[in-house]
Amino acid sequence: MRKNMYESAVIINAALDDAQIEAIITKIQDTIQLNGGTISVLDKWGRKRLAYMINKSKIGFYVIFRFEAPSEAISKLERVYRLEESIIRFLTIKLDKFAVEYFNDQEIAATTKVEEVVETPAVAVVETKSTES
Amino acid sequence: MKNKKVCRFTEAKIKYIDYKDVKLLQKYITDQGKIIPKRITGTCAKYHRELTTAIKRARHMGLIPYVSDTVR
Repeated sequence: MRKNMYESAVIINAALDDAQIEAIITKIQDTIQLNGGTISVLDKWGRKRLAYMINKSKIGFYVIFRFEAPSEAISKLERVYRLEESIIRFLTIKLDKFAVEYFNDQEIAATTKVEEVVETPAVAVVETKSTES
Repeated sequence: MKNKKVCRFTEAKIKYIDYKDVKLLQKYITDQGKIIPKRITGTCAKYHRELTTAIKRARHMGLIPYVSDTVR
Protein backbone atom coordinates (compact mmCIF):
# COMPACT_ATOMS: atom_id res chain seq x y z
CA MET A 1 0.00 0.00 0.00
CA ARG A 2 1.21 3.46 -0.91
CA LYS A 3 2.08 5.63 2.05
CA ASN A 4 2.36 9.39 2.30
CA MET A 5 3.75 11.84 4.80
CA TYR A 6 1.12 13.87 6.60
CA GLU A 7 1.10 16.64 9.13
CA SER A 8 -1.82 16.97 11.45
CA ALA A 9 -2.33 19.91 13.80
CA VAL A 10 -5.00 19.80 16.49
CA ILE A 11 -6.28 22.43 18.90
CA ILE A 12 -7.66 20.91 22.09
CA ASN A 13 -9.88 22.77 24.57
CA ALA A 14 -7.41 24.33 27.03
CA ALA A 15 -9.95 24.32 29.87
CA LEU A 16 -9.36 20.57 30.34
CA ASP A 17 -6.89 19.09 32.82
CA ASP A 18 -3.46 18.02 31.63
CA ALA A 19 -4.41 14.38 32.22
CA GLN A 20 -7.49 14.69 29.98
CA ILE A 21 -5.46 16.38 27.24
CA GLU A 22 -2.83 13.65 27.53
CA ALA A 23 -5.58 11.03 27.14
CA ILE A 24 -6.79 12.64 23.91
CA ILE A 25 -3.24 12.79 22.54
CA THR A 26 -2.66 9.09 23.23
CA LYS A 27 -6.05 8.32 21.66
CA ILE A 28 -4.98 10.12 18.46
CA GLN A 29 -1.61 8.32 18.53
CA ASP A 30 -3.38 4.98 18.84
CA THR A 31 -5.72 5.68 15.92
CA ILE A 32 -2.79 6.64 13.70
CA GLN A 33 -0.86 3.50 14.64
CA LEU A 34 -3.87 1.18 14.39
CA ASN A 35 -4.50 2.35 10.82
CA GLY A 36 -0.98 1.47 9.71
CA GLY A 37 0.71 4.80 10.36
CA THR A 38 4.05 5.53 12.00
CA ILE A 39 4.51 8.79 13.92
CA SER A 40 7.85 10.49 13.36
CA VAL A 41 7.36 13.75 15.26
CA LEU A 42 4.98 14.65 18.09
CA ASP A 43 5.23 18.32 18.95
CA LYS A 44 3.30 19.69 21.90
CA TRP A 45 3.19 23.47 21.74
CA GLY A 46 1.09 23.65 24.88
CA ARG A 47 -1.42 26.35 25.71
CA LYS A 48 -1.32 29.24 23.28
CA ARG A 49 -3.41 32.35 22.79
CA LEU A 50 -5.65 32.10 19.75
CA ALA A 51 -5.77 34.99 17.30
CA TYR A 52 -9.55 35.08 17.62
CA MET A 53 -12.30 33.43 19.66
CA ILE A 54 -13.00 29.81 18.76
CA ASN A 55 -15.93 28.19 20.58
CA LYS A 56 -15.96 31.07 23.09
CA SER A 57 -12.40 30.39 24.25
CA LYS A 58 -9.32 32.56 23.79
CA ILE A 59 -6.70 29.88 24.43
CA GLY A 60 -6.09 26.45 22.99
CA PHE A 61 -3.73 23.53 23.47
CA TYR A 62 -1.79 22.94 20.25
CA VAL A 63 -0.45 19.52 19.25
CA ILE A 64 1.31 18.72 15.99
CA PHE A 65 1.79 15.22 14.57
CA ARG A 66 3.97 14.34 11.65
CA PHE A 67 3.49 10.80 10.42
CA GLU A 68 3.61 8.39 7.51
CA ALA A 69 0.34 6.63 6.76
CA PRO A 70 -1.76 5.14 3.96
CA SER A 71 -4.37 7.56 2.61
CA GLU A 72 -7.30 5.54 4.01
CA ALA A 73 -6.09 6.29 7.54
CA ILE A 74 -6.75 10.01 7.15
CA SER A 75 -10.52 9.76 6.79
CA LYS A 76 -10.63 7.50 9.85
CA LEU A 77 -8.45 9.89 11.80
CA GLU A 78 -10.57 12.91 10.89
CA ARG A 79 -13.69 11.03 11.92
CA VAL A 80 -12.14 10.59 15.38
CA TYR A 81 -11.39 14.34 15.43
CA ARG A 82 -14.97 15.22 14.61
CA LEU A 83 -16.41 12.90 17.24
CA GLU A 84 -14.12 14.21 19.96
CA GLU A 85 -15.90 17.27 21.34
CA SER A 86 -12.89 18.74 23.12
CA ILE A 87 -11.01 19.09 19.81
CA ILE A 88 -11.96 22.58 18.66
CA ARG A 89 -9.95 22.76 15.42
CA PHE A 90 -7.87 20.42 13.29
CA LEU A 91 -5.95 20.54 10.05
CA THR A 92 -4.34 17.64 8.24
CA ILE A 93 -2.13 18.34 5.26
CA LYS A 94 -0.19 16.08 2.93
CA LEU A 95 3.50 16.92 2.80
CA ASP A 96 5.13 17.02 -0.64
CA LYS A 97 8.83 16.27 -1.14
CA PHE A 98 9.82 19.92 -0.58
CA ALA A 99 7.95 20.01 2.72
CA VAL A 100 9.60 16.79 3.87
CA GLU A 101 12.98 18.28 2.93
CA TYR A 102 12.14 21.47 4.84
CA PHE A 103 11.31 19.59 8.04
CA ASN A 104 14.38 17.36 7.72
CA ASP A 105 16.57 20.46 7.42
CA GLN A 106 14.84 21.97 10.42
CA GLU A 107 15.58 18.90 12.51
CA ILE A 108 19.23 18.88 11.44
CA ALA A 109 19.52 22.58 12.33
CA ALA A 110 17.98 21.92 15.73
CA THR A 111 20.41 19.09 16.53
CA THR A 112 23.49 21.08 15.43
CA LYS A 113 22.40 24.01 17.61
CA VAL A 114 22.36 21.74 20.64
CA GLU A 115 25.86 20.51 19.82
CA GLU A 116 27.17 24.08 19.52
CA VAL A 117 25.90 24.93 22.99
CA VAL A 118 27.71 21.89 24.36
CA GLU A 119 30.94 22.85 22.59
CA THR A 120 31.17 26.46 23.80
CA PRO A 121 31.97 25.75 27.48
CA ALA A 122 34.65 23.29 26.36
CA VAL A 123 36.36 26.09 24.37
CA ALA A 124 36.13 28.42 27.35
CA VAL A 125 37.94 25.89 29.52
CA VAL A 126 40.80 25.63 27.02
CA GLU A 127 41.16 29.43 26.95
CA THR A 128 41.37 29.77 30.72
CA LYS A 129 44.04 27.09 30.83
CA SER A 130 46.20 28.95 28.29
CA THR A 131 46.00 32.21 30.27
CA GLU A 132 47.05 30.43 33.45
CA SER A 133 50.16 28.97 31.90
CA MET B 1 13.75 55.84 -8.74
CA LYS B 2 12.21 52.41 -8.96
CA ASN B 3 13.96 49.53 -7.29
CA LYS B 4 13.62 46.13 -8.87
CA LYS B 5 11.87 43.92 -6.37
CA VAL B 6 13.16 40.40 -5.94
CA CYS B 7 11.21 37.45 -4.73
CA ARG B 8 12.48 36.55 -1.28
CA PHE B 9 11.67 32.90 -1.71
CA THR B 10 13.42 32.41 -5.03
CA GLU B 11 16.49 34.20 -3.73
CA ALA B 12 16.73 32.27 -0.48
CA LYS B 13 15.82 29.02 -2.30
CA ILE B 14 12.93 28.40 0.07
CA LYS B 15 10.85 25.63 -1.45
CA TYR B 16 8.20 25.18 1.20
CA ILE B 17 6.30 27.82 3.17
CA ASP B 18 5.20 26.53 6.55
CA TYR B 19 1.90 27.85 7.85
CA LYS B 20 3.20 27.55 11.43
CA ASP B 21 5.96 30.10 10.73
CA VAL B 22 3.90 33.06 11.94
CA LYS B 23 6.86 35.48 11.97
CA LEU B 24 7.38 34.99 8.23
CA LEU B 25 3.70 35.19 7.33
CA GLN B 26 3.26 38.41 9.31
CA LYS B 27 5.51 40.18 6.80
CA TYR B 28 2.99 39.44 4.07
CA ILE B 29 -0.18 40.61 5.79
CA THR B 30 -1.29 44.15 6.61
CA ASP B 31 -2.16 45.43 10.10
CA GLN B 32 -5.75 44.63 9.29
CA GLY B 33 -4.82 41.04 8.50
CA LYS B 34 -5.20 41.25 4.73
CA ILE B 35 -2.78 39.50 2.38
CA ILE B 36 -0.48 42.04 0.69
CA PRO B 37 -0.69 41.78 -3.13
CA LYS B 38 2.34 40.41 -4.90
CA ARG B 39 2.76 43.54 -6.97
CA ILE B 40 3.76 45.28 -3.75
CA THR B 41 5.82 42.57 -2.08
CA GLY B 42 7.50 41.45 -5.30
CA THR B 43 6.96 37.78 -4.59
CA CYS B 44 6.80 35.72 -7.77
CA ALA B 45 3.53 34.05 -8.75
CA LYS B 46 4.56 30.54 -7.76
CA TYR B 47 5.50 31.44 -4.21
CA HIS B 48 2.70 33.94 -3.76
CA ARG B 49 0.30 31.07 -4.39
CA GLU B 50 2.06 28.98 -1.74
CA LEU B 51 2.03 31.96 0.59
CA THR B 52 -1.70 32.55 0.32
CA THR B 53 -2.51 28.92 1.14
CA ALA B 54 -0.10 29.09 4.09
CA ILE B 55 -1.76 32.28 5.37
CA LYS B 56 -5.23 30.79 4.98
CA ARG B 57 -4.17 27.65 6.84
CA ALA B 58 -2.68 29.75 9.63
CA ARG B 59 -5.92 31.72 9.89
CA HIS B 60 -7.94 28.53 10.16
CA MET B 61 -5.75 27.29 13.00
CA GLY B 62 -6.06 30.53 14.94
CA LEU B 63 -2.42 31.53 14.48
CA ILE B 64 -3.13 34.80 12.66
CA PRO B 65 -6.43 36.73 12.69
CA TYR B 66 -8.97 36.86 9.87
CA VAL B 67 -9.72 40.42 10.94
CA SER B 68 -7.41 42.24 13.30
CA ASP B 69 -8.70 43.44 16.68
CA THR B 70 -7.90 47.05 15.83
CA VAL B 71 -10.39 47.04 12.96
CA ARG B 72 -13.15 45.31 14.91
